[in-house]
Amino acid sequence: LTHGTGGQATRDLVSETLTAGFEDAGDALVGLADFDDGAVLPVGDKKLVVTTDTHVVQPPFFPGGDIGRLAVSGTVNDLAVMGATEVRGLTSGVVVEANYPREKLERIADSMAEACREADAPVVSGDTKVMGNGELDGITINTAGVGVAEHVTPDSDLSPQDVIIVTDTIGEHGIALLAEREGIDFEADLESDVQPVNDLLAAVLEVGGEAVTAMKDPTRTGLAGALNEMARKSEVGIEVTDERVPVTGDVTGAGELLGLDPYQIANEGVAILGVEPTAAEPVLAALRDHPKGENAAAIGKAIDDHHGRVVLDTGIGNRYMREPSKEAVPRIC
Amino acid sequence: MSERVRASVRVDGVVQGVGFRPFVYRTATAAGVGGYVRNAGGYIDAAFEGDRDAVEDVIETIRSEAPPLSRVRAVDVSWERPAGVEAFEIRDSGADEAGDGGVSVPPDTGICERCLADVRDPTSRYHGYWATSCVDCGPRYTVVRDVPYDRASTSMDEFQMCPDCRDSYETPSDRRYHAQTVACPACGPELRYETDGGVDTDTPLDSATQALADGEILAVKGTGGTHLVCDATAVATVQRLRQRTGRPTKPFALMVPDVSAVESFAAVGEGERETLTDLRRPITLLEAEGDMPWLAAVAPGLHTVGVMLPYAGLHHLLFDRVEGPLVMTSANRPGEPMVTAATALWETLGEVIDGALLHDREIVARCDDSVVRVVDGAPHFLRRSRGWTPARLPNPPGDDTSPAVLAVGGSRDVTIALADGGGVVLSQHIGGVDGPAGTAFHRETIDRLTDLAGISPALVACDRHPEYITTAEARRHARDGLVGPVQVDHHHAHAAALCGEHEIERAVIVTADGTGYGRDGTIWGGEVLDTRYETADRVGGLAPFSLPGGEKAVRHPARILAGLLDDDDAVDDRLVETGAVETAAEAAVVRRQAETGTNAPATTSAGRYLDAISALLGVCSRRDYQGEPALRLEAHASEGAVRDIELPFTTDDGRRVLDTATLVSRLAALRKRESTADVAATAQDALARGLGTIAADYARDNGITAVGFTGGVAYNEAIYAVLRQTVSDAGIAFVGPERVPPGDGGIAYGQALVATARDAS
Ligand SMILES: [Fe+3]
Ligand SMILES: [Mg+2]
Ligand SMILES: [Zn+2]
Ligand SMILES: [Zn+2]
Repeated sequence: LTHGTGGQATRDLVSETLTAGFEDAGDALVGLADFDDGAVLPVGDKKLVVTTDTHVVQPPFFPGGDIGRLAVSGTVNDLAVMGATEVRGLTSGVVVEANYPREKLERIADSMAEACREADAPVVSGDTKVMGNGELDGITINTAGVGVAEHVTPDSDLSPQDVIIVTDTIGEHGIALLAEREGIDFEADLESDVQPVNDLLAAVLEVGGEAVTAMKDPTRTGLAGALNEMARKSEVGIEVTDERVPVTGDVTGAGELLGLDPYQIANEGVAILGVEPTAAEPVLAALRDHPKGENAAAIGKAIDDHHGRVVLDTGIGNRYMREPSKEAVPRIC
Repeated sequence: MSERVRASVRVDGVVQGVGFRPFVYRTATAAGVGGYVRNAGGYIDAAFEGDRDAVEDVIETIRSEAPPLSRVRAVDVSWERPAGVEAFEIRDSGADEAGDGGVSVPPDTGICERCLADVRDPTSRYHGYWATSCVDCGPRYTVVRDVPYDRASTSMDEFQMCPDCRDSYETPSDRRYHAQTVACPACGPELRYETDGGVDTDTPLDSATQALADGEILAVKGTGGTHLVCDATAVATVQRLRQRTGRPTKPFALMVPDVSAVESFAAVGEGERETLTDLRRPITLLEAEGDMPWLAAVAPGLHTVGVMLPYAGLHHLLFDRVEGPLVMTSANRPGEPMVTAATALWETLGEVIDGALLHDREIVARCDDSVVRVVDGAPHFLRRSRGWTPARLPNPPGDDTSPAVLAVGGSRDVTIALADGGGVVLSQHIGGVDGPAGTAFHRETIDRLTDLAGISPALVACDRHPEYITTAEARRHARDGLVGPVQVDHHHAHAAALCGEHEIERAVIVTADGTGYGRDGTIWGGEVLDTRYETADRVGGLAPFSLPGGEKAVRHPARILAGLLDDDDAVDDRLVETGAVETAAEAAVVRRQAETGTNAPATTSAGRYLDAISALLGVCSRRDYQGEPALRLEAHASEGAVRDIELPFTTDDGRRVLDTATLVSRLAALRKRESTADVAATAQDALARGLGTIAADYARDNGITAVGFTGGVAYNEAIYAVLRQTVSDAGIAFVGPERVPPGDGGIAYGQALVATARDAS
């Protein structure tokens, strides 16, 4: 089951099977083959952003959230990082196992509704299917969303010198989930920070406008996966200073204990921005004024060297920031 | 008067690019013999005509006094009728170095005895000159920009020869005839001593030695790179170097003026004496002797120390002024290549050094010191670099139609290799490539060696590890048009390299090291492989165990015990005691990790088994450099006696394996009765006998005539000797790594052989 972690193996599987035959993207400005957070379709002089995500998460309830909150936040954020911070409508498709406890289902529905209120996102269509016992492990939720972008911010438009900003501390979501799933007790309050950040990104775009060149949602493959992908697609290098990346002590500690690199841990409710140098300060100020952006930090910049790679300045030397792999295979002897 | 004769002579061996023709010329003319000498594509062809005694003397001299860089394998003589020739001539003009499809650039060497005598001779114009060299000695590979190898294509081209030097260069009877690096104080590169305060060009050596005496840390630019240098006997200075470089425990190499000075603190056996005094001057690993207090700061917790003798004229001049020993460690930041240029030096190591002894000859190719250890009587390369690169190694037997191959190496101790029908060129030590500087050096080395070796690869080979930077580099070469990448299993590459240097087609190879990516996605490192060049079958080894925390478990080896030791209290105790975790609750998390497999990959690594024992015995709780826990374990084991213990064999997935968990539990029980040193010795012995037995039994059952041992664990003297003995006792031939590093520095060579063989089949 190494194909679900979102790294190279997933890219290979998807490009070899699921996207083959869908190369014709019609008149989409950003399509399936771009592997971005969502698609962009021209409608008149507007740009319609569409995205869909199917959520399976083990466990479905975790500290700081549940699959319902995750399903709404994930899709809202995918729209928002494409530039569509105002959600025109969401659809929700729920598949549950026949014996799934009603009370849990209600909790999930409630947190979906609550996340929608937070994101100011109306659910405009829904569908529910029940499958036989054992035909599915509990519950799966698909959400799709549409929005309109004035200015599209794909993950492939970084230019050298663009400042790289993260909007929040990283790693909480992935670590909280892992601890819950594996029954590991860290003696620390590790909570997922899963949340819709379209309001935060709306504030960013209001100040930064066209100077915001790229945005991305560092979900399954963590900060390292997202930055490497941005560097590859934008054909730039990215330089990051280790000590500037915001990470909480609890995440660092838990990562140390498990031997996990916070840069490789999944996030929800965090965004990475590429901003032209002149707009970096105003954008940072706007982020820090917002309750969801008080930990925002400029962590580095795009460079015209080391194309496709992320160079991490560790203070004692420079090394490449590694992407998470399908298997955790150490490289050191 | 004796009879007049004519001898036609063929000399085979390493006879090109080593000043062989001028040597023959000088010998013949001195003896008043006529005839000629010429390069005949791979061998020397000569004829000598004159009195029988004189001719026989010349032939004897060729046999016994050949130039230091040459290796005469055979001198064949046939007698002919004299042709009446009086004069002696060098037949083919131009550079002596022109080869025939081989690498025409020779490796560097240390300064030869005769040049050193010139430096010491007050009447010589080379007196006190730091860069004295001749056709027998000096920098080669490190100063060459291009082929053919002549002065114009080296970094010596900036220095116009003075009339005296030109005269030497053009006179066939002169030792410096066609010596491309010839230079003297009147015309050659100059020394200077730099500090914050300024530059001293008048008495740079005196300033530098004064600074050393004052306890300062210097950078000294040598032939292939730059060293960080300080007084090795001043403990406070060495500690300051550790602190400034962020290397709390990594052993530093020493440079010592001569063998007798070495013998005051380390044991020099016959094999060690030979490698120490080899003109190529590798660092030789020696057993420390006599408990010199300063040695503990140089190589903390180890029973060995790396020592080299001076090799550049510059080093000898330094030792004319200081008594030594000096610490001489490569000037680089952790994980980055050594610095070669003065500007970069102050930029990257300005915080580390107090002054710098520099010269103005450009280092074209960075080339770290080679490192050898005499293991079980034979020298093994820990690093094959300066002095050996770019000499060729054998190709897989019976193959010369395959396309040329580029092999990009592994991840640690990286080297690259280029192969064609003429053999395999293995690059100098590149080191880590996980950062921009390492990757740049890797690319630069590939570009340079393809030029110098005249090999344009058609195929690229790499490791199977999906995340190695070198794998990404190989993919890049494939996108740029090379066929491949051919992915070679890490341990197959190790094993094939051993077969390759012995030119054997099939052998059972024990490959024991720290980490390599296995085909099944687990981490291999204690493998018995039925090896051919095209394929290797994993037929035995160690039983898998868990590495809770992945790389974290490599740094904190007590974690490995969580997957090996079936005693929760003992595991928690070791975890907390060694500082791997802080509390019992955290220890429980690590055990839980091992149980659930959360970031806890499975491994069969012999290196990790040794690390685990090291943590079990409290010998090493934290790994600060590669191999540290195992090296410290070896130091303890060398003081201990092997205790009787039953080897627990079992099977895993059809392979015969040594049951690591049972073995570790037995060793933990033994620890209650016996000393740390004895348990350490027993643990090493069990590993060696276990793997040796599995390999020898498999070889016997399958009619395979040779068993070999390679991988980083093969540096361990005791393990190596016991494994070899186990194999020999079973009546099977044993082969060991003598020309190619058993560690990851040999991976590229193995990759090249496997890719070549696969392509041919
Ligand atoms: Fe290895
Ligand atoms: Mg997403
Ligand atoms: Zn010489
Ligand atoms: Zn001169």
